[in-house]
Formats: sequence, C-alpha cells, structure tokens
Amino acid sequence: MTKKLSRVSGHVILILLSFLALFPIYWMIISSLKSSPEIFGYSMITTQPSFSNYIDAFTTVPLFRMMLNSVVVSLGTAVIQLVVAVLFAYAFTRWNFKGKIVVYGILSITWLIPVQAIMIPNYVEIINMGLNNTLFAMILPHCCSVFANISMYQNFNSIPKALIDAARMDGSSELQILKDIVLPNMKSSIASLGIVLVITAWNDYLWPTLVARTDEVKPIQIGLKSFTGTDTNMWGASMAAATISTIPILIVYIFMSRKIISSFMKGGIK
Amino acid sequence: MTEMVKKQTGVQINMAMRKTAAKRPVKISSKIKPWLFLLPTILIIVFWMLKPLIQTLMYTLYDWNMLPGTMPEFTGLSNFTELFNAPEFGSAILNTFYYILMMLPFAVILPVIIAALLQNLKPRTQWIYRALIFLPMIMPPVATATVFQWLLHQTNGLVNHLLVSAGFLENGINFFQTEGLARLMIALITGWKMIGFATLMFSAAISNVSPEYYEAAKMDGSGGFRRFIDITVPLLSPTMMLMIMMSILFASQWTFSYIDVLTQGGPYGTSTNIYYLIYKYAFGNSNVGVSAAAALVFLVIFGIIALVLQKISNRLAFYDN
Repeated sequence: MTKKLSRVSGHVILILLSFLALFPIYWMIISSLKSSPEIFGYSMITTQPSFSNYIDAFTTVPLFRMMLNSVVVSLGTAVIQLVVAVLFAYAFTRWNFKGKIVVYGILSITWLIPVQAIMIPNYVEIINMGLNNTLFAMILPHCCSVFANISMYQNFNSIPKALIDAARMDGSSELQILKDIVLPNMKSSIASLGIVLVITAWNDYLWPTLVARTDEVKPIQIGLKSFTGTDTNMWGASMAAATISTIPILIVYIFMSRKIISSFMKGGIK
Repeated sequence: MTEMVKKQTGVQINMAMRKTAAKRPVKISSKIKPWLFLLPTILIIVFWMLKPLIQTLMYTLYDWNMLPGTMPEFTGLSNFTELFNAPEFGSAILNTFYYILMMLPFAVILPVIIAALLQNLKPRTQWIYRALIFLPMIMPPVATATVFQWLLHQTNGLVNHLLVSAGFLENGINFFQTEGLARLMIALITGWKMIGFATLMFSAAISNVSPEYYEAAKMDGSGGFRRFIDITVPLLSPTMMLMIMMSILFASQWTFSYIDVLTQGGPYGTSTNIYYLIYKYAFGNSNVGVSAAAALVFLVIFGIIALVLQKISNRLAFYDN
C-alpha cells in the first residue's frame, strides 16, 4: 500500500516538473498563434490559430536572413570544431608522447576561462583583422572547443588499439588509419557530439552580440533582441520570432533526444 | 668462452647501434607526428584564449576606451582602486554569491530527489520524463528570456493575471523592475534551465550504484526514505561535489544572458553579477582597464575556490568501489 502510494506521489511530482519544463515553451508557441485581441486573453488554447504574428515578425526584422546566418555560423563552427577535435583525439589515442599531460592540463584550465575574461582582446583582434560585423568573426575564435576535444578523446578510447596497430603494420599512413579505421567506427559518436556543438553555437549569446552589428549579420538569437524591450505591444510577433528560433532545435531534439542528452552529460554544461 | 661472449655482445651492441641508426629518422618524425595533429588545437587555443588572457591581465594596468586611433595609457593600479570604490562592485560580488546559492536547490537538492524518484520506474517511463525535464537545457537563451518576460509581464502576463485573479495581489507586479524580485526571477529562470540537466547527471550516477546495496538494506528492513538517506545520498556525493563545483564556477555564466536581456543588471544594480559588471565596464562604459581589473579579481577568487573544492572533493567524496 505505502509502496503504491509512494509510486503515485512520485509520478505526481514528475508530472508536475515535466509540466513546469514544458509550459513556457507551450505558452510561447500558443501565444504566437493567437491573433491580436486573443493574445491578451489568457486562454490556454486558441480557437482560431492565425499566422499573422509570423508575418509581422518577418516584416519587422529580416528573420529569414538571421536564420540563415545562424545556420551558417553554427554548422561552420561545429564542423571546424569536429575536425580539430578528431585530429587532437587521434594524437592522444595513438601516441604516448612527452608533454601529453601538460597539453591536457592546459586544455582543462582553458575550459574554465570565461568569455568575459578574454572578450576585449579578441574583440580588438577581430577589428584589427577587419572582420568586425562578419560571419567569420563569429566562427573564427570558436574553432577549437575544449569540450569537443576532450569528449572526442573519450570516444576514441573505445577503439581497440590492436586495430590501429594492425593497420600500421600494413604500412598505412596516419591519415589513412584515421580515415579508414578510426572514423568509420566513430560515426555515431561524432554525429551526436556534432549535434551538441551545433546547438551550443546556435545558442551562443555574448560573443555574437559584440561582433554582429547589423541585421544582415546578426544570428537569430541576437535578432530576437529587437523585439524585447522596444515595443511592448509586439508580443505576438515576439513569440512568433522566438518560436522560429527554437523550432530547429526542437525538431532535432524530438528525433535525437537520447543522443543529445548523453552527449550533454559528458560535459556540455558550459 | 669469454672471448665468444665478448664477440657476441659486441655483435649485439653493433646490431643495436645499427638498429637505432636505421630507426633514427623514423623516431624523429614519430616524435613530431603527434604535434602535427595537435597543431590546430594548440594554435587556436594560444591565439584565441591564452594570448587574450595575458592581454586582459596587462590591460588591468592601463586606461583605454578601445576607440580606434587611441593607445592604452599606463596608469598603474588605479583601475583597481576605481573598481573597489565603485558602488556596483560590492553588489556584483554579493549577487554572484546569491546566484550560486540559489543554484544549489536546482543543481543539487531537487535533482537528487527527482533522480531517486525516477530510479524505480520502468526504463521507458524514465526516458519520457527525462526527455521532458531536460528540454529547457537546450532552449535558446534569448527565446527563453523573451517567453519569461511575456509570462511575467506586469499587465498582460499570465502569472500576474493568475495571482490577481486568485486574490493574492491587487495589481500586477513588475517583476524585473522590483528590487530583490528581479534577481530572484533570474535565479528561477536559470534554475528552470538547469534542473533537468542536473537530474540526468544524478540519474546516471544512481544507475551505477549496485542494486545489491538496496537489496541488502531492504533485507534489513529499511524503508524507502532510510535507503535514500543511507545509500543514495552518500553514493551520490561525488556527483554532488561535481554539481556544486559547476554551480560555483558557472552560475555567473548561466545567468548572464538573462540578466542582459531582462534587467541589464537593474534595478539600481541589484541583479548584476561579476560577469555582467565585466561586460558593462568594457562595452557599456568603454572602460577597458576597470573591466580587466574586475576580470582579474574574478579569476583569482574563482581560481582559489576551484582549488579548495578540488582538495575537499578529493578528501570527502565517498566512492563506491
């Protein structure tokens, strides 16, 4: 009896928490579909869903362009980070060399350096390079993700060393071993790490606010700010734009939640 | 006999020498090889992280506004006196600790309880709850901030509407412009985001605990609550330490975007934290020196805290082995 009771109360608490997690997202989507008078009505559903807020959102700011910027920046960043991480992880799995511990130590320390402690010199650097207000400015400083390097290394550890040794005996070059033996075995873990890197870049906030100045360059997260704090009657359009900025992530999450969750748990917290 | 041994060893030495001689070029290149693979990582880290870190440390001694054509001017330690005398500095430090403390229920206490509740469910049910509770973690920051701004809006927000209809309030509250409430809301929104992630960390840790402990405790007649206190909590202590450490080191980072979008540190600097201060000094006041000084103070404080925590966690954490 008490066992049943505790199980039921457990479900009640978990349902409540799931509700709290989901409700703001639900409210964002449902508000975006409500027409102008209805949005101030607090109804939990909408009887006549309309897309007028979306039209407003697209005409207020170049949302499409901003989405495209986000896609380019987040995919570009993630792909480069993956390449750098693969090379790093290969060196760490393949060889025991002097200085390995030092490199690892420095890497773990840089993981703790907050953006705020390095943003001024990097901002000045980007200006000196003439890259301010370009998409490159958002990709370049993030070409190496310490988190990606370390998780990739952990993934690579699962490859049997004998496999690599066998290929080396056959006279394969290092790049051949990497391409023919290691990467095919690592496809799925590279993919799930890649998704987390894309999401992280998509959600990046501080650095893009510094270097993306005009609407043509802003990624969607920064573009969304045009709706906050300016005109309070733009709530419908604001929710529509917020929904658009979230939809790609939600879709990926629906299909790959397991992979995303397990990669995040390996240290994607920052 | 000895002659032969000598000859043999001589041959062996000779062969060994010849071997190393033949191997030599290979050895050198195999010494360089790992570094070739590490080169991209090293170049990027040095250029975009270590070099700027050193530059930031140098800026603490200079006065500069980042305007093109101007040069940093050496001013000694005056940036630090300016920082320590700034009225926002005290409240930024205080709020930094406030946010850390407010993270603990969401990153440690509640997640441990939820993870324990999830533990006895069927794997499939567990996954559904986990996937739902985790969702806030991947929500984009500005979208999240905007939704909460709308939910908590003074006149049209759902929360105020419910509070007024229920008779708790006569008029809606302007949550983000009220002293004390602004930072509470930011802490709650950040907590909303973090709780699912922390729960998953604890769930993973619990699933590694051997079921035998629970079986043994059941045989001894301990109830569910006793088992939670006696087995789950101590075995989760390494994960708890990790999450406490993460909260301390990253709470300021997690709250940053919400502060920027929702309150800009206000009202009257009551919701600002040290990160936001660093940002505001640099890009709001164009005062690079003071911003860098604040960054250095931050690095020192948090560096010490990280070291102390590392020591404590090595000593206290109870490992299941």
